[in-house]
Amino acid sequence: MNINILYAALAPIVAILLGLLYIGIGRKIIARLQRRYGPPFYQQYIDTIKLLAKKTVSSHGVFFSLGPIMGLAGSMVTLLFIPFGSAAPLLSFHGDIILVMYLVVIAPLGMALGVGEGSNPNGSIGMARGLTLMLAYEVPFVLALFSVVLYTHTTSIAQIVQSQAGEWSLLKFHGFNWLTFALPISAIVADICLQGMLGEKPFDQVIAPHEIASGPMVEYGGKYLGMMVINHALHIYIETALFVDIFLGGGPVWFFIPATFSVFILSLIINGVLPRFRIGQALKFYWGVPLILAVIGIIYTMVVIK
Amino acid sequence: MKQKTEQKKSLNQGGKNMTEEKSIDFFEYFIGPQHPGITGNFGVILNAVGDEIIKAQANPGYLHRAFEKLMEQRMYLQNVPLVCRICVPEPDVNEALYSMAIETLTGIEVPERAKYIRTIVLEMARLAAYLFYFGGTAATLGLYTLPNWSFGDRDYILDLFEELTGARIYHIYMQPGGVRRDLPKDFTKKLYSLLQTLKKRIKEYDGIFFDAALFKKRTKGVGVINKDMAIEYSVTGPNLRASGIAYDIRKDTPYLAYPDINFNVITENEGDFYSRVMVRRREFEEDIKILEQLIDKLPSGEVWNRYPMPLNWKVEKGDVYVKVESTKGEYGYYVVSDGSEKPRRIHVRGPSMTHGIMLLEKLLKGQRIADISPIMFSLDICPPDIDR
Repeated sequence: MNINILYAALAPIVAILLGLLYIGIGRKIIARLQRRYGPPFYQQYIDTIKLLAKKTVSSHGVFFSLGPIMGLAGSMVTLLFIPFGSAAPLLSFHGDIILVMYLVVIAPLGMALGVGEGSNPNGSIGMARGLTLMLAYEVPFVLALFSVVLYTHTTSIAQIVQSQAGEWSLLKFHGFNWLTFALPISAIVADICLQGMLGEKPFDQVIAPHEIASGPMVEYGGKYLGMMVINHALHIYIETALFVDIFLGGGPVWFFIPATFSVFILSLIINGVLPRFRIGQALKFYWGVPLILAVIGIIYTMVVIK
Repeated sequence: MKQKTEQKKSLNQGGKNMTEEKSIDFFEYFIGPQHPGITGNFGVILNAVGDEIIKAQANPGYLHRAFEKLMEQRMYLQNVPLVCRICVPEPDVNEALYSMAIETLTGIEVPERAKYIRTIVLEMARLAAYLFYFGGTAATLGLYTLPNWSFGDRDYILDLFEELTGARIYHIYMQPGGVRRDLPKDFTKKLYSLLQTLKKRIKEYDGIFFDAALFKKRTKGVGVINKDMAIEYSVTGPNLRASGIAYDIRKDTPYLAYPDINFNVITENEGDFYSRVMVRRREFEEDIKILEQLIDKLPSGEVWNRYPMPLNWKVEKGDVYVKVESTKGEYGYYVVSDGSEKPRRIHVRGPSMTHGIMLLEKLLKGQRIADISPIMFSLDICPPDIDR
C-alpha cells in the first residue's frame, strides 16, 4: 500500500521532469535547425519555477482558476494508467485503454472551461480550434488502437505491453515483437495522430501566435501559466509513452526513456520544417488519408489474425 | 463590487452589437497594435461571425511622426538624416529620392560613379527587404525556421552596409550631389561573394518553403487581387506585377544607373497570395543579377559634387515629383521650393497607402481568421510610410 502511494506521488514528478527535459532539449535541437544556439537544455525548468513563484495579478472568476487545476489533475490521473516501459502501472484493468482515451481529453476540457471564463476571443478561438482538432485526430487514432486490440485480444495497456515483451539485453535485440512490425499501417496512423495530439506543426492551430496570439494562454499568467506549461510537459510524456508502450513494446527503462524522447524529437523535427494547416484543412487531412489508412489497418489486422 | 458591476455594464454594451448582428457567433476581434501577427505599428479591427470576417477596418496612425511638416521647418541638408526614418525596413529609397529631388531642382550633377554606388545600395536594400519579407510571410504561416535563416542572411547584407556607411539600418549615406564617401577597399569583392552565398541560400529556402506543398495549399487562391482591382486601387510594385501587369519604374522611367542594366520585369498571373510571394522570390534572383552587372560596370571617378554652403543654401523656386521602385511599390517625393533655405512643402507618396488601407479592408472581407495575418504580410504593408 505504501509503495502504491509512493508510486502515485513519484510518477507525476518523474513525468514532469522528463517532459520538461524533452522540451528543453527539443528547443536546443530546433535552434540548431534554425541556425541559432538556443537556450540551455535546463531553461525550461528555470522558466517553470519562475512562473510558479509568481503572484497571479488578476482572475476572471472561479472557473478561470479551476480550469488549469482540473486539466493538471486529469493529466496526473491519466499518468497512473500508463506503464513506465515494462514496469506495470499503478492502476490496470481490462478496458483501461478506453478509459485512457477519455482521461486524455480531461486536460483540454479543463483548459476550455477556464479559458471560456476569460472571455478573450483569442482564447475562445484557440479552444474551439483545439476541440475541433481533437475531433479530427481521435477518429483515426481510436481506429488504430482498435486494430491493436483486435490483434492482441486485450484492452489493457499493461497486457499489450506484455504481449510484446522479450528478454532485453544490450546485446540482443528483441524489437521484432513490436506491434510496429506486426501492424505497420496502424503504427503510421498513430504516429500521424501523435503529431496532432502533441500540437506540433502542421497541427499547432491552437496556439498559432500570428493568428490568435498564443490562444488559450493569452489571459493566463504566473502560477496558472506555469501549470499550463507543466500540463503540456505531462502531455508530451503521456502521449509519447502511450505510443512507445503500444507500438514499440515498452521495454526496460534504459530503452523506454530514449524511445519516448525519439518519438518526441521525430515529431519536433517535422514541426521544424512545416507551416501550419488552416483548421479546416487539418480536419480534412485527418479524415482523409489517415482515416482510410486506419480502416485498411483494421482489415490488414483481421487478415493477419487468420 | 461597484467596479465589477460597471464592468458588467460595459460588457452588456459590447453585447449591443450582438443583437444588431443577430448572431450568437458575432464578435469583435482586434489584430494590433499589440499582436504578433501585425506588420508593425498598425491595427485592424475585425467583425467576425464564427471564423469568417464580415467587416475589416484598418486602423493606422500609431506611428504618425509628422515628417512632412517637420521637414518644412528644417534646412535642406538637415532633412537628409530625417527622411530615412520614414520607412524602417527599407530606408535608402527615401535618401535617394530626397537627393534626386533636390538635384533636379538645383541642377547639381551627380557623378557617374555615385549613380552606380547609389544603385548598388538601393539593390542591396531591396535584397535585405525581401529577406525580411520572406521571413515574415513564412512566420505568419507558422514556419519559424525560414525567418531565422533569412534574418541571419540579412545580417550579412547589414554587415556590408555597416562597412560602407557606418550604420546598419539608417545609413544617411546619399546626399545631394552624390554619396558621402567612396566604396571601401575590397567592397565589391565581398559583395560579390555574398551574392554567390545568397544564390545558394535561396535554393535552400525553396526546399523548405517556396516549393513546399503545404505552403501552396495555404496560399493558392487566397486574397486574390485581379487586374482590374489592382488598377482601380492604384496598386504598384510587386503586388501589381503579381496580378500580371508588367509595370516597373526601373524599366519604364529609368533613373540612376538602371538604363545601363539588363534585367527582366517579373510577373505572375493569378494575383493571389502565392503569386505575390513568388514574384518577390523570383525578383530576388533578378536583383542578384542586377548587382553583379553593377559591380562589373562600376566606373571610376569622383563620388560627390559639392553643394553650396548648407547654412545659406537657397534652392531654386519650383516643384518636382521624383519616383523610384521600392520593394513595396512606387515611392515618390513631391518637393516644392519657394526659393528660401527651407522647403515649402514635401509630400511623400508612401507605397503602402494604396494596398495597406482600402485594398486590405476589401481583401480581408470574407476571409478566415487564420488568413488575416498572412494576407497582411503577403501585401508587404509598411505602416510607417502610411503614417509618415
